[in-house]
Amino acid sequence: MSFLADYGYIGLFFVVSVVFALTTVLIPQILTALGVIPSKPSPAKSATYECGMDTIGKSWVQFNFRYYFLALLFLVFDIETVFLYPWAVAFNKLGLFGFVEMVIFVGILVVAYLYAWKKKAFEWK
Amino acid sequence: MIWALLGPELLLAIFALAVILLDLAVKQKGVLAVFSIVGLLGSIGASLALWGTNGIALNNMLVIDKYALFFDVLFAAAAILVILASTDYVEKLKGFQGEYYALILLATTGMMFMASTRELVSIYISLELTSISLYILAGFLKDAKSTEAGLKYLLLGSVSSAVLVYGMALVFGTTGGTHLGVIWNAVKGLNGIADNPTLIMGIVFLVAGFGFKIATVPFQMWVPDVYEGAPTPVTAYLSVASKAAGFAVILRVFFEAFGRAPWLSQSWGMLFAILAAITMTVGNVVAINQTNIKRLLAYSSIAHAGYIMMGLAAVGLMESQLALARSGILFYLAGYGLTNLGAFIAIIAISNNTGSDLIDDYKGMVRRAPVLSLGLAFTLISLTGLPPTAGFVAKIYLFNAALQSGLLWLVIVGVLNSVISAYYYLRVVKTMYLGEPASTERLSSSGPLRVALTASCFGVLFLGVLPNTVIQVTEAIKFLVS
Amino acid sequence: MVGLQHYIILSAVLFCIGLYGALAKRNAVIILMSIEIMLNAANVALVAFSRYVTPQLLTGQIFAVFVMTVAAAEVAVGLAIIIALYRQKEKVDVGEVDLMKW
Repeated sequence: MSFLADYGYIGLFFVVSVVFALTTVLIPQILTALGVIPSKPSPAKSATYECGMDTIGKSWVQFNFRYYFLALLFLVFDIETVFLYPWAVAFNKLGLFGFVEMVIFVGILVVAYLYAWKKKAFEWK
Repeated sequence: MIWALLGPELLLAIFALAVILLDLAVKQKGVLAVFSIVGLLGSIGASLALWGTNGIALNNMLVIDKYALFFDVLFAAAAILVILASTDYVEKLKGFQGEYYALILLATTGMMFMASTRELVSIYISLELTSISLYILAGFLKDAKSTEAGLKYLLLGSVSSAVLVYGMALVFGTTGGTHLGVIWNAVKGLNGIADNPTLIMGIVFLVAGFGFKIATVPFQMWVPDVYEGAPTPVTAYLSVASKAAGFAVILRVFFEAFGRAPWLSQSWGMLFAILAAITMTVGNVVAINQTNIKRLLAYSSIAHAGYIMMGLAAVGLMESQLALARSGILFYLAGYGLTNLGAFIAIIAISNNTGSDLIDDYKGMVRRAPVLSLGLAFTLISLTGLPPTAGFVAKIYLFNAALQSGLLWLVIVGVLNSVISAYYYLRVVKTMYLGEPASTERLSSSGPLRVALTASCFGVLFLGVLPNTVIQVTEAIKFLVS
Repeated sequence: MVGLQHYIILSAVLFCIGLYGALAKRNAVIILMSIEIMLNAANVALVAFSRYVTPQLLTGQIFAVFVMTVAAAEVAVGLAIIIALYRQKEKVDVGEVDLMKW
């Protein structure tokens, strides 16, 4: 039984999400059918986006590889911060040694950053 | 205190970062090579200064014993020879010398940590530090072949490291620890292969993951392509240091965590024995038909991995033979390392002039470059295992260790394989000495490269003529077991 | 009750999917993605073992964090090499990477 109870919450979420999606779609339909709100279709209303520019061309195009460059740099530096969180949580217990180690870690990252900077990896040539 | 114990590794890491920064500042790139060599020499000095100390560092994760320090010296020496031999090569690197030297230093740092760590997490991290640096180095030239080598090495290497991590996860799950001592404590209480399927599966995955690094069959398919496509100095480094690092880690992990329970060690000992027989046979038989000297040496390096695995099998099958077999493996790695570096250094010089790695283009090379040809011939004789070279002593010594563990059949396979290997090694020597040269133009080579070649050839000769001096050292090397 | 074996089965299935993709697919980017799946399978196993086998320790979870970081570094290098390959061949199909025997 407890096995089912564990999945019960997931089932509950599933039911709620389906009901929520259906009601938001159905309420306007029902209200239109009852004549509570007027039905005035226009091209602007059925556009994909309600605001912003209309899209031009297909989105399945090749991106400039500089995006990859920046994305790679972001990925590498971003993932390193994963180590800062556990360190920050346990900061009081780790004490000075932990602090020195983290300074060394960040120092290595700074070298990498300087390298990328000097090699003009951040510039959009 | 801890900083002193970590001296060799820390020094190299600092120098690697300094090379990157220095590269941004200086125009004269030759300084970087000198600077890197200074760092490596400093690291060797630190290792020698620590010789004889038995220390643990970083929460018992790292152990500084003679075994680790021996490998520190081996890796740093190999890196020095590779950097010396790269002097002719760096003009092909088009303004990326700084990265080249920094990556070699980082790879060496990773290998040093591999030799001294006894904790699965740090084994994985140091192995990846080495591997990722080497992936970049393999694809460094940016021409079609080199990129292809880098991509293949990266894809296959990543798959194997994923397998390795999964194996580590399974071992961690069954034993409740990532420290080799904790794992051993848990393994001690277990009994029987059939009762511990998850642990066995984890160990098999570990063999697969590490087997990729040392290039054992059936995880050898990357070796010929990567060795052929990668820049030749990087190939030399891969075939020597990366392989030695793999063996360093395997021997420590398998002995310390799984080696003292006979029901388990008999099994992996027999597994390594069978893999050794297959590996050396495949390597030698496929090498016969090669026309490219780098591919030939790639298959030869697979075969030599097979020989060295005989030592692992000897440790697994008879724990009492640990000292002899370990000493055999260490001596073999040192002898094979010097020999293979010498061979590759000669090849770098020759193909830098002729622009070709084909064995046919080595015809009559003795008339165009007598010293280089002599060096290559001498190292090939050492790879065959003929006296008076390091290869001869190393083979006899290691085969003896296998015999003591009762592996007579494996020794017979090894001897037969040495006979096969003589055919293709000596064919290259014959081509160089008896063929008609395509042109009579003399080859030129740089001073540092000649120094590196001379150093490695004299090393090979020294190990072949006076092996006792080194064997005394390797026999004194012990693990610090928790 | 969702127990240890459920997580291990999940991780084994993920691992097999990743291994299949890494060995059978021809597109280098998809192979890299499959390798990521394999590493994440190992992460699932590590975290589950950490929770059920050694609940008082965090070793397995820390291991998973390290695996994630290393995976990111591997992917960064992998994509860089793939970009270099693309500049030469205008393709990222490993079947095209056949200068030497695969």
